[in-house]
Amino acid sequence: MNPASTFSTATAPEYLSVEERAHWRLAWLSTVDHKRIGILYLLFALVFFVIGGLEALFIRLQLAVPNNTLVPPDTFNALFTMHGTTMIFLVAMPALFGLANYFVPLMIGARDMAFPRLNALSVWLIPFGGALLHFSVFTGVPKAGWFAYAPLSETPYNSSLGVDYWILALIVLGIGSVATAINLIATILCLRAPGMTLRRVPLFVWINFVNAFIVIFALPLLNAGLVMLLMDRQLGTHFFMAREGGSPVLWQHIFWAFGHPEVYILALPAFGIISEVVPVFSRKPIFGYEFVAVSSVAIALLSFGVWAHHMFTVGLGHVADTFFVIASMLIAIPTGVKVLNWSATMFRGRIRMTVPMMYATAFIIQFTLGGLSGVTHASAALDWQTKNSYYLVAHFHYVAVGGIVFAILAGLHYWFPKMSGRMLSERLGRWTFWCMVLGFNGTFAIQHVLGFAGMPRRVYTYPDFPNWGWMNFVSTCGACLMGVAAVLLVANLLWSFFRGAAAGDNPWNAWTLEWATTSPPPAHNFEALPPIHSRRPLWDNANPGRPDPPVGPDAILSPDRSKTSMWTLIASEAAFFGALILVFVYFNIRPLPGPNAKNSLELGKTAIFSLCLFASSFTLWRAEIAERNRRRRGMISWLALTIGLGAVFMIGQGFEYWGLYRSGVTVSANLFASTFFLLTGFHGFHVTAGLVALAVVLGLATGGDYRNRASPLEAIGLYWHFVDVVWVFVLTTVYLLPRFL
Amino acid sequence: MNTVARIALGAWELNPIVLLACVLAVGAFATKFRSRARWKYFVAALGITLFALLSPLNALADGVLFSAHMAQHLLLLLVMPALFLLSLPRDFKLRIPGGGRLAIFGWAAGVGSMCFWHVPVFCDAAATRPAVHAFQACSLVVMGAAFWWPILAPSSPERLAPGFGIVYLFTACLACTALGIVLTLTPIEVCPVFRAPLAASSWANLRERIGATQDREIGGLLMWLPMCLVYLSAIIVEVGRWLAVPTKSGEDRHEIA
Repeated sequence: MNPASTFSTATAPEYLSVEERAHWRLAWLSTVDHKRIGILYLLFALVFFVIGGLEALFIRLQLAVPNNTLVPPDTFNALFTMHGTTMIFLVAMPALFGLANYFVPLMIGARDMAFPRLNALSVWLIPFGGALLHFSVFTGVPKAGWFAYAPLSETPYNSSLGVDYWILALIVLGIGSVATAINLIATILCLRAPGMTLRRVPLFVWINFVNAFIVIFALPLLNAGLVMLLMDRQLGTHFFMAREGGSPVLWQHIFWAFGHPEVYILALPAFGIISEVVPVFSRKPIFGYEFVAVSSVAIALLSFGVWAHHMFTVGLGHVADTFFVIASMLIAIPTGVKVLNWSATMFRGRIRMTVPMMYATAFIIQFTLGGLSGVTHASAALDWQTKNSYYLVAHFHYVAVGGIVFAILAGLHYWFPKMSGRMLSERLGRWTFWCMVLGFNGTFAIQHVLGFAGMPRRVYTYPDFPNWGWMNFVSTCGACLMGVAAVLLVANLLWSFFRGAAAGDNPWNAWTLEWATTSPPPAHNFEALPPIHSRRPLWDNANPGRPDPPVGPDAILSPDRSKTSMWTLIASEAAFFGALILVFVYFNIRPLPGPNAKNSLELGKTAIFSLCLFASSFTLWRAEIAERNRRRRGMISWLALTIGLGAVFMIGQGFEYWGLYRSGVTVSANLFASTFFLLTGFHGFHVTAGLVALAVVLGLATGGDYRNRASPLEAIGLYWHFVDVVWVFVLTTVYLLPRFL
Repeated sequence: MNTVARIALGAWELNPIVLLACVLAVGAFATKFRSRARWKYFVAALGITLFALLSPLNALADGVLFSAHMAQHLLLLLVMPALFLLSLPRDFKLRIPGGGRLAIFGWAAGVGSMCFWHVPVFCDAAATRPAVHAFQACSLVVMGAAFWWPILAPSSPERLAPGFGIVYLFTACLACTALGIVLTLTPIEVCPVFRAPLAASSWANLRERIGATQDREIGGLLMWLPMCLVYLSAIIVEVGRWLAVPTKSGEDRHEIA
């Protein structure tokens, strides 16, 4: 079908309802609509993309010629630190979350995300985190690189508050990301339209679903590490200071246990975008849906088992290196499967080389190149030679820019008509694309060679070695060309938003549900949904004579959304506590000199107030039963007793802390004290949060308001039981095992 | 001939009890299932058992190398029971009531046996006393079968639903990852007997060459990565099995627009 025929029937889009026009700012600031939140995400990403891009340009301009003095060394360190952090946490993640926010509910035929207000919180945490990070401009910018290796990131070597703001920003952004991931999982599991079974969801949805699980498990690991680093800097602990018995290598373990999955947190949604764009513009269904879906799961799982390949040069030993070389190379298999799927989809398709398809094609080629150089890094022997050289910089930019940014641009060009109701200019788009491709490959292809020639990353300048000068100059020219592409992109977005041709509902003649509504969609998303029996409902609708074969039975299972989200939160919290418990074991496997678990902790008292906590799980269970049997008074009494028992536990812990403090066991006394207060402190914090939540439920129940609403008790109860289970592990690890081992 | 080759060829031990048990197992299996069984899996399971219990791996696991002990552990707990369950005929049912609770027991059996046999006292006993070692081997196989049953039971109603199956396997992977990390990255010795001096022999030389720390690391890493990879592969098979949609043969699934 000719896209033009769709334009003629389309009218200019309405972005605001009549009553919103008077207060359009408030309509956007207070929005809980997933579409507007999606756009806010994209706008924030665009703002930070400009900032991070300018930082990159300054880095390249400084390196354009040997012995350059444009940027002093300290500023250079700050530039690459801020560039890396900004691009990963404030550009790529928000952009991908933005697209997921906008299109996941539409693709599954839902009205909104499962928790619209939580969604709004997540999006506003982005500017908050960004502001915290950039506030460091006034206090001294962080200069420890985006992975903030200890001890460089510790106070003696980074004494300004920059790293502290960096930590706070990342914690804030991490919490926002976990909230978004929980929201996405609950949305995909609980809000699918009739017929939209999990086997039929578009691959973009499937992959975002898998990806959300990586987020809920990976981000808590980073947060655990960040808290420890912050304690080192602000409370005088020594988790990562070797001189005082801490372990800088532990920081690397924790950071990369998050950092490697993070690569896939960015790459998987990009794969999802490509898996939507390539079939539509090849006019064929995706080749091997099941393989793309299963390989995403494989990537997600493997991503957690290979982080040590970032640490080959640390000295883990040949044995560990060998194991991680093999495990890392395995990831190439599911990734390769995907590349094969996309290529096979294009093979013998009726390819339409529109701008989104051009970006998708460039993605496949560039990402494959980045992946291949990644496999070379998985070999420890080669990694020893190329580590921290420009070869590494080239590799990860081929993945992050050639892959992820190109996929985001493919997605933006593909879905802009749906979001704005107007087509982007194809002509301007093609100019942008070619500037981008030439600029990107100009910048980074030559950096492979520079790396082999021995140029290390993160040096602010370099002597006039043979060939280094012109290669760096070429790279800088490429970066400038990418800058031109960015300007053209913004110009295209602005121009098309106001002047672009009207898009109509389905300008690309695509097959997934987001194209079954107006562009932009109304607040409630759909007037009516087409029947869903296969993976391409719009194809079936348009071709009733030759529909796709139905996929599995129609019946869908929609679990309760509050319980689903609570289980997801619990999984994420379990990862957080798992990390803290492992840290405790790591430092306390042998009793430390000075205060330790044997000579400082009193098992007897702790056992008594632990019994109170465990009993509170029982009383809460009784409260749940009373509620189920509609015995309000019984429920209120059991709930009050639960809160009382929880409070006794907290008071007991308070006395224990006071006793330790009086005997000189403060948080900075030694690593036992630091790990003890870290672990039990966070547990106490969670108990307190649980108490607050239970008190709110109690207040609602006694006020009577509660009977007219869905009961939150079961979901909050799950959380409370979880907190108790965590204490079983804490009690065993901290109080019991050290006595017997 | 170098040390490794000499050990590989010379240290096979034809333990009559193991051989007899295997012959009996083949007999019983053949009588009960005949052609309905999937014999290739059964032969593989048998081969793994013989390799784990008769080859030099067994001798090395008897107080020489912690890593060999761990490799034997993996073969008996993870690989052999999985292959055995796969070899059962597709219509075989256990008919044990309990469903979900059975799965909790299976999970606890699989992960618990891993923890139990790495408590220093038990680990040392298994590595030095043949009777305890034999009991350990049997318990690993039984616990392994209990672990795999909710995933690999021949008839689908006796298996866990795919979503729960994934959680089941993933949490097992987390548990062995945590144990593996502790074994690899901390100086803890779960089986001190593997550090006890050996009489001068080719095996003492081998242990000397590998080194105590490396030996412990290999053991920990075996539990950390290969073990998890087995669980992850099972998860991938599980997801694939659930996603796979039977299509009618000869039908052109999709048409180009």
